[in-house]
Amino acid sequence: MASATARGGSGGVLNLVLFYVFLVIFVLASVLPLIWVFKMSIVTKSELYASPPTIVPNTLSTAEYAQIFSDSAFQKALINSTIIASVTTVICLLLGSIAAYSIARLRFRFKATVMTLILAISFFPAVAIIAPLFIQYSQLGIINTYASVIITDTVFALPLTIWLLVAFFRELPRDLEDAAKVDGATTIQAFRKVIVPLAAPGVFTTAILTFIYAWNEFLFANTFLFDQSTQPVTVVIPNFATIYTVDYGAQAAAAVVVTVPLVILVLIFQRRIVSGLTAGAVKG
Amino acid sequence: MTPNKREGIEMTTRRKINRRDFLKLGGAGLAGAALLGASGCGGGGGGSGNLIFSMGPDDPNKTITKLIDKFNKQNKGEFQVTYREMPADTGQYFDKLRTEFQAGGGDIDVIGADVIWPIQFAAQGWLQDLSDNFPESEQQKFLQAPLEASIYEDGIFAVPWFTDAGLLYYRQDLLDTPPKTWEEFKEMALTVSQEAGIPNGFAFQGSNYEGGVCNALEYIRTHGGDVLENVTSGPVIIDSPESVAGLETYRSMVADGVAPEAVVNYTETESEPVFGDGESVFLRTWPGMYGDIQGGAYKLKGEQVGVAPIPVAPGNESFSTLGGWNMAINAATDMPDEAWEFVQFMTNEENLKYRAIEGGYIPGRSSLLNDPEVDEANPIVGLAKEILLDNATSRPVTQFYGDMSLEMAEQFNAALKGDVSPQQAVKTLQESLSSIMEQAE
Amino acid sequence: MTTASNEKKGRSRIWEEFADPERRTAYYMVLPSLLIIVIVAFFPILYGIVLSLTDSTAAAFGSFVGFENYVEMFQDPAFLEGLSNTVIFTVVSVTLEFILGLTIALAINRAFRGRGLVRAAILVPWAFPTVISAVMWRLMFQDRIGIIQYVASTIGIISEPILADRTLLLIAAILVDVWKTTPFMALLLLAGLQVIPNDVYEAARVDGANVYQRFFQITLPLLKGAILVAVLFRTLDSYRVYDLFYGMAQRELESLSTYVYEGVRISQLQFGPGNAAAVFIFVTSFLLALFFITVLGMRTSAEE
Repeated sequence: MASATARGGSGGVLNLVLFYVFLVIFVLASVLPLIWVFKMSIVTKSELYASPPTIVPNTLSTAEYAQIFSDSAFQKALINSTIIASVTTVICLLLGSIAAYSIARLRFRFKATVMTLILAISFFPAVAIIAPLFIQYSQLGIINTYASVIITDTVFALPLTIWLLVAFFRELPRDLEDAAKVDGATTIQAFRKVIVPLAAPGVFTTAILTFIYAWNEFLFANTFLFDQSTQPVTVVIPNFATIYTVDYGAQAAAAVVVTVPLVILVLIFQRRIVSGLTAGAVKG
Repeated sequence: MTPNKREGIEMTTRRKINRRDFLKLGGAGLAGAALLGASGCGGGGGGSGNLIFSMGPDDPNKTITKLIDKFNKQNKGEFQVTYREMPADTGQYFDKLRTEFQAGGGDIDVIGADVIWPIQFAAQGWLQDLSDNFPESEQQKFLQAPLEASIYEDGIFAVPWFTDAGLLYYRQDLLDTPPKTWEEFKEMALTVSQEAGIPNGFAFQGSNYEGGVCNALEYIRTHGGDVLENVTSGPVIIDSPESVAGLETYRSMVADGVAPEAVVNYTETESEPVFGDGESVFLRTWPGMYGDIQGGAYKLKGEQVGVAPIPVAPGNESFSTLGGWNMAINAATDMPDEAWEFVQFMTNEENLKYRAIEGGYIPGRSSLLNDPEVDEANPIVGLAKEILLDNATSRPVTQFYGDMSLEMAEQFNAALKGDVSPQQAVKTLQESLSSIMEQAE
Repeated sequence: MTTASNEKKGRSRIWEEFADPERRTAYYMVLPSLLIIVIVAFFPILYGIVLSLTDSTAAAFGSFVGFENYVEMFQDPAFLEGLSNTVIFTVVSVTLEFILGLTIALAINRAFRGRGLVRAAILVPWAFPTVISAVMWRLMFQDRIGIIQYVASTIGIISEPILADRTLLLIAAILVDVWKTTPFMALLLLAGLQVIPNDVYEAARVDGANVYQRFFQITLPLLKGAILVAVLFRTLDSYRVYDLFYGMAQRELESLSTYVYEGVRISQLQFGPGNAAAVFIFVTSFLLALFFITVLGMRTSAEE
């Protein structure tokens, strides 16, 4: 409604002020909890456990960061998360881009069925299949390996990947492909030589979103991975503890460490991410 | 952004794709992932010449790691032990072990097991019977309570390693003698905290988790009640006036304002700093806290703190819930002799003593409880010795303890909150625990 | 695409379909994705349905027991609590997120300075791993050291410990979910708003429609598609809540998903009811999606 009323005159100035007040509140509400997590990570343990909590940090300490970075388990978890998220992203893009091209560009009869089947996965309650999958993976012998999580993450990220890529592919001009086909190129060649380079920005956006999904996944990792040789950060961080007690300081520091790369990614690519996230939705 | 764009293009164009390849692609993706997975698994070892030992996080002095290094040096060229660090949360560690066993034995050879696990695992046939290697003459050198918790049917399935029991910590500087009965205790907690201007009388672990079961059991047992008539077999006897009285006292800690209301979601993490930073007169927790206070982790100083047995209802004996860790061997191990060698090494007198002194643990061998060197380095051993020897009693150690614990944790927590009456809680438990015990037969 | 009148000739049409090289290529191209989805998601759910009708355990396949597990499930207070928590959580959080999200979307549907910053701020809670943010929120709700409990009791809103009370915990979980996903909802609705052409509003203004009339007669109807997609996504997402409850409350907040997890992964004796609950979630999710698509007339983007 602000869009329709906020224009011109002295009322406009007031409106503008209100508008920015609203924006500031909104942005603060989004960001403050994260700033608080950061605060918890840079105070000494005794300040962290002080009651009542301090609003402004009295002490500054990098001890928690020093601790987690010297912790081989955390390093391993970072590596595991990176491997799981990257491989998932690559496989999703490989499978997803060819499927998306087919759906966006080629004509075939069961397209609606195929698309519904794929989209159904994004509504699929993941927890419903952990028991049967666990049994199947045990029989395959891939429990407690990266493969178990990568395969499952791939399946659950694929709908998003395909959905986004279909939207991107549809926006590309058809003429170039047609021209290529007239020149004797096969469908595949047209896809590879024309579509793929043109769609690179869309593919890149999709890659970021898929990566974030896989980086943040918890349920499958917690179900299929038993020990620190393969567990990602989402499983390891909530377990940070000494013998009997949970180590909140280290958890806060680790939360900052695993979120900062995502925040940077988001800051740089916010425009693309937003257009990616909303690409499929507005069509509906 | 440009380099990324490049990568994006190359990623999808590098492969020369023809029609047939599309079919293979799905398979290739899966196979590729499987390969990666296999290499991830390889990090854990499990091949010949290697033993895997699982245990929760090491202590700050890294005594487990150092002992393993020492062992590996002794056995250079023959076989080596790898330490697989498991979650500190015992529930999660248990869950992971059990899943690994169910998935076909797993690759862990030697297990650092919570005192209540060996029987549960042994009942499924997942642990090696140690009877031949661990004769009674040897067994007698270890503490009775953790040893008994490792016996299932005719076999013995674990060697006691380190032990734990619930203790009552109190402010030595504020009261002369610790209370004997729960009535005295509550009275003292309320008056002393008021006089000294301390916000709380008492802190303990009341949350809906394993620690909550350990706490509530102490109330039930110090009022003369219990869960099972025989601690390893049953039948269920929790629905008794004694258990009700125990849970009434438990609830009164919150209802009468002895402990803060939030104690119903306290674990060790939340409760220990309350006492450690001088905000309560009493604390019920495990022996390890004493070393933390001595080490300067809290505002309280070592000389301000004393430890005492858990109070009782008049006419009853004191009980402390037994905790601690034992060592067990996977029935499916390829190297049973080497595994036993490692268990012996970790539980021999010298190494137990080392870990008692450097790691601050209470050793599982009786002789070390009277060792002056251990006593000097780790004063809690001397202070808690009597309690450990006389009062420490295991939780009901049955095949399905895990499910029993879920039920008990829920009901004890609800009773502590006042959501259900103690009568109702024990009634519910009598039913649900009985049906679990039936399934064990 | 073929029309319905051609359906009769099914068999020969399918042959024709595969005889055409371009169409065959099209199928080859979707095949890998379809295969992996069917193998990893649809096959297990069928297997799960079978498991739920037997007395299997995580270790061994059992014999057929009919609907016994479902009966046991519906008699289990933990399941009923999980069901009611999940329904309350889903309805309340999605409603709040929708109202707040729409307000925000309407407010920021204009060109202004700092747009990029706002967008980034919106995305940050979304990108923060749920389970880790849940653990951090738990810390902020703590009675002694938690900032929220401290502020709430200082200004006198809540005196009792938030984490000690299941109702307060559920409210806290809803608030955290609103924090995390409202911005996202706003974004989806904003995208929908931006495709509504401005001249529609101008025309209405000329016709003398006031702000409210314009909102209810133009904005809402034209936004229906975007709203349905956003609300369906969020509803099904909330309905399977797991990470948030696990991280914030461990065992104290039961949801349908935590019930399944506990049954199939933690308990040794609840595997049957756990699997029954898994099937229950699957079937009810499916019905929910069907309701949105058929009754509310949501269109999937598969239709061109």
